[in-house]
Amino acid sequence: MLRTLAFRALGLLGVLVAVLVLVVVILGATGVSDRVLQAVIQEELLGVREQLAKTIHDPERLEAALQVHRQELVRLYGLEQPWFFRLPDMIRRVLVLDLGEARTVRSFTGSAKVSHIVLERLPITIALFWGATLIIALTGLFLGSYVAMRSGSRVDRAVSYLSAGSYALPAWWTAILMILALGYYLRLFPTGGMFSSPPPAGGLDRSLDLLWHTVLPTLAMVLAGAGAWVYMVRTMVLNTAQEFFVTVARAKGLRDDEVMRRYILRAAAPPIVTNLVFGFLGILSGGILVETVFRWPGMGRLYYEAILAADENVIVALTFMYTLLYLAARFLLEILYVMLDPRVRYT
Amino acid sequence: MPGQDVVRVFLASASGRLGLALLGVLVAVSLYTLATYPLDYGRRVWYNPKVWADMPKNAPPAWVPGPRFPHQTIEARDPSMVVPAGERKSLFYQFIVYHQGAQSPSSLSLVVGDVAYHRAPPVFTLTLRRPDGREVLLYQFTARAPAAGESPPFHRYGDAPLRVLLSHDETVLTKTARFLEQEYGLPVAPSELRGHVEEALFGVSSGTPASLSFRPLAGTYQLILAAHLQDARDLIGEVQVVVGGTHYGLLGTDALGRDLAQGLLFGFPVALAIGVFTSVLTTLIGSTLGIISGFSSGRTDTLIQRTADVVTNIPLLPILIFLVFILGSRLWLVILLLVAFGWPGLTILTRSMVLQIRTGQLVEATLALGASPSRIMFRHIAFQIAPYLLAQMVFFVPGAILAEAALSFLGLGDPSMPTWGQILEQGFRTGAVYLGYWWWVLPPGLLIVGTAMTFILITLGLEPVVSPRLRAAR
Repeated sequence: MLRTLAFRALGLLGVLVAVLVLVVVILGATGVSDRVLQAVIQEELLGVREQLAKTIHDPERLEAALQVHRQELVRLYGLEQPWFFRLPDMIRRVLVLDLGEARTVRSFTGSAKVSHIVLERLPITIALFWGATLIIALTGLFLGSYVAMRSGSRVDRAVSYLSAGSYALPAWWTAILMILALGYYLRLFPTGGMFSSPPPAGGLDRSLDLLWHTVLPTLAMVLAGAGAWVYMVRTMVLNTAQEFFVTVARAKGLRDDEVMRRYILRAAAPPIVTNLVFGFLGILSGGILVETVFRWPGMGRLYYEAILAADENVIVALTFMYTLLYLAARFLLEILYVMLDPRVRYT
Repeated sequence: MPGQDVVRVFLASASGRLGLALLGVLVAVSLYTLATYPLDYGRRVWYNPKVWADMPKNAPPAWVPGPRFPHQTIEARDPSMVVPAGERKSLFYQFIVYHQGAQSPSSLSLVVGDVAYHRAPPVFTLTLRRPDGREVLLYQFTARAPAAGESPPFHRYGDAPLRVLLSHDETVLTKTARFLEQEYGLPVAPSELRGHVEEALFGVSSGTPASLSFRPLAGTYQLILAAHLQDARDLIGEVQVVVGGTHYGLLGTDALGRDLAQGLLFGFPVALAIGVFTSVLTTLIGSTLGIISGFSSGRTDTLIQRTADVVTNIPLLPILIFLVFILGSRLWLVILLLVAFGWPGLTILTRSMVLQIRTGQLVEATLALGASPSRIMFRHIAFQIAPYLLAQMVFFVPGAILAEAALSFLGLGDPSMPTWGQILEQGFRTGAVYLGYWWWVLPPGLLIVGTAMTFILITLGLEPVVSPRLRAAR
């Protein structure tokens, strides 16, 4: 079991390395990495200037000393070499988010460091993402198995068409529809943000306010994401329901819900989890856009802000963080899969 | 399954028929657009603010009920009156605007083109004559004087007609303020009138102590442009008045006055092109690699499968955002990237099918007959799995369209042509959502969903043709 997991982890690590190399090579070949490093050097020189200004008062000598420092830094960062020699260093830089300062975006505390900005938004994204994922997974499980038991009925056909519609529905457009209908016309929900302004002071009030602001984004993601999962669970359950052991269980006179729970769903669980993996990416991508639409101050919204500000450092950091987030979520699913599938567990 | 049966089984399903009908509509509209629109429509028309200068801004569609002022472009070829005065001559152009009194116009602009004069520049004045008999001198100007070294006749406003947006012009604001002061004794600063000029000019102040709120005054208005020519030979080509409506066209306009119906229409072939090119290329590459991988075991197989495993696990949207941001937003680049990250799923699927077919008797027999591996792969195996590939190809289309729309919505759309995603993004960025401009954000989204839905319906219709294996494998 541990061997299987280690093997999977290795595979996912391979993906991470592939993404890193791709990102860094593109950055190098297009000359963007030069600019990133220049920015880092510039930032360091600012610190050096302050230090030197304390001892050197003659502006010309100060400039000369700074020039020396700059050349040292250029050599240190390998800027005088062609970009492909710097690949390992650049990979390390992306890995630890050492990407200098953002152009215009600032962190909530006012810091300009890319790592500060991105890391502080990570939990905000995860909060929205996990909530939506959980609801989507549960909806898929319950609704999917429910209609599978009534396959061919009117409910089943309606749900099938609805899930096809849900697949075609982009989460972000759903989000816009909700803002327009529930936020603008009916004024039931806020049209964006995480808290009302000013945010309520009390702990409970604050949490309720936050919850109130999460309703629409979560709903948008669920409406757009649930369809595919419902359909997938339905297919899996239908396939399993035709197996002989299910017929035997029925013949024994077990109750329908017991057959469903202990025989069909249990057996269909591993393939369902495998398929969840692919739906996952859709939710993650949808989240980027839903955050944008709802001004949810997570990493997805940051993407939009960084694109508008043409801030490549932030975009590199975000691309890395999203890959990491996706791979981490994937790994959790792998663990779940291993726990659910006895054939893997006992080998 | 023979070809005829495929068609019969496909058409037997309701979703297949519906999907096919919708596809027919999509293709017809795209062909119409390609035939009637210039290919550089985006650059030349859509993103050229001059084209849309006279259009009403943020106007809802014309069929929306409610008080309105219809959009009117009034052109005058010939003057309605000519008054000669010796060497000189005055031309009077009359524009009649009928005001129903429901809603004031949203803008007012004047266009003068192709002026030629010989001695001194002509002087123009524009006067509004209201149904209550009052007159307002709105605007006056003189054509640019001859430059040194220029010889008569002097041509003015030939290449670019003079375009005066009266609603925003300082002179008009000042004159209107003076008119209000004389008329109602209202002391108004011209800047206060910004955005309300039309209401003041085409209405009467409401309330007994006159105030800055106006109610529309119905009746026939005349806009009179007088051109005082200093020489009888002088010519004036084109004169036009645009009275901005409150509603426009089939789908309304955006904040720049662009006719949304036009942009959305242009989006049809673009969306279809994205979908079709991406899906065809992805299917070609994915299936070819899958067939090679399944047929040639060993190192080639392992290499292709490991690569596919890695690529299939790369989160698509973040990496797309990064690459398009760094490499530039070009439509062909987006298509290539979608292909580059989209092939592995099909490769893995194709390989598993080829593995089954490879052990069959057909392959054994053709091998015995001395067929080359490439002939077996691409003649015998490929044709057996062709229906599955077709279904997959259709299934790739909505994904590609949705991915491009998502990129456009993040502000990474190809700036040389309008797409549905870009129109939505502009609506979102300029706050149309929060202002309730539904005509700007609903139709593009509906078109994206409808197009994606078309191909999903076709996939559903194809399922009985290729099932059960495809369904199990997906």
